[in-house]
Amino acid sequence: MNEPHPGNGNRPPAAAAPARRRRGWNAMDLSLIAVFAALMAASVAIPGINVGALGVPITLQTLVVSLCGLVLGFSRGTAAVSLYVLLGLIGLPIFSGFRAGPAVLASPSAGYIIGFIFGAAVVGALATLAVRSRWRVAGLFGAALAGGLVIHVFGIAGFMVRGMGLQVAVLTDLAYIPGDIIKNVIAVAIALSLHRAFPDLLVRRRK
Amino acid sequence: MRGHAFMVAGYIPGDSFFHRMRLGLKAAALFAVAVLCLASPFVSVAAGLWTTTAVLAAVVGAHFAAGLPWGRLWRAVKLMLIFLVLIAAYQWWQHGPAVAWQVIAAIIATVLASNILTATTPVDELLDGLASLVRPLERIGADPERFSLTVALMLRSIPFVIGAFADVRDAARARGLERNLMARSLPVVIATVAYARSTGEALAARGLGEPAARPSERTPAD
Repeated sequence: MNEPHPGNGNRPPAAAAPARRRRGWNAMDLSLIAVFAALMAASVAIPGINVGALGVPITLQTLVVSLCGLVLGFSRGTAAVSLYVLLGLIGLPIFSGFRAGPAVLASPSAGYIIGFIFGAAVVGALATLAVRSRWRVAGLFGAALAGGLVIHVFGIAGFMVRGMGLQVAVLTDLAYIPGDIIKNVIAVAIALSLHRAFPDLLVRRRK
Repeated sequence: MRGHAFMVAGYIPGDSFFHRMRLGLKAAALFAVAVLCLASPFVSVAAGLWTTTAVLAAVVGAHFAAGLPWGRLWRAVKLMLIFLVLIAAYQWWQHGPAVAWQVIAAIIATVLASNILTATTPVDELLDGLASLVRPLERIGADPERFSLTVALMLRSIPFVIGAFADVRDAARARGLERNLMARSLPVVIATVAYARSTGEALAARGLGEPAARPSERTPAD
């Protein structure tokens, strides 16, 4: 502990989350939100990495979505992903394949992009609980899996809105599942290292 | 793709009718295209077919009227090709060729229409448009100034993060860890968080980005 956290120890954990919104973010929160949104945007420019024997190129997009939730928690994580989606929708080329603008809402992958926001929200909400529990690692991994599930449900719904049948949509979506599980393992490993390097990151600092 | 070149990748300079059109009008036109394409399930198949085909033809015409290249049109379709084929096959099987064409044409028309908007509007103008959308929300408690600050912070952070990815990739390659996802991403994220924190401290030191304390919310400790 290199910074004093007055009152942090005896604050009931459940009270911290709802109070956060009304109290507003300080400059540090805004900076973290902005920079994680930039991380999402930059991860699009990184070509996929071929992983191990699978030879499946893995893009970092969904990894960063889970990371936003795992590292920033519910409200800041959701805000970071929403900011990324919003700027992509108004026309910055920051969606996969350097796509941009409202076009992605019309394209079949719209479900995933909207799902990112809800996925990050779910990961963030569960991660906040997980870091305080006894089974921290399992809890964080569970949070990442739950968020991934939410993204896939939105993705499948997106395919169906565009006119694909349920079965075809699920089969198309299944192709992404193995890669996503690998990414969730890595996201949790990164989050654990980050929590160790910056202990006050997820636990809210109070002045 | 390093630096700010990345941010203007979508814009194609020109002096066409669409380049000179006001952003609000362009957005309204895009909205009209989307409504026309989405409305087709609510009218008869024949009417929907003709509307969507006409809209698609108009949008393709507009694409060339705006002086945009062929490649741009093809690239937008190419990225969704697999999904379009799957959707077309399913719709053909379930509802016949007319509906399949109508669904595909609607997707392509909306995507191309919003491509025209993105390609004929500079990024600054889009960001200004976003800011003016946020301004009316001030009454319900939003803080447009802090929002714009966050957007600006994000934009200036992108080159930093891309640079960090490039540096870390070189380092991982030198150690023979090019295919190790952990070695490729953990240092980037640590550098990114450290960058965010120093930026946050710098902002706080200058009193920027702090929530405007309303008298009722101010605690005695402040």
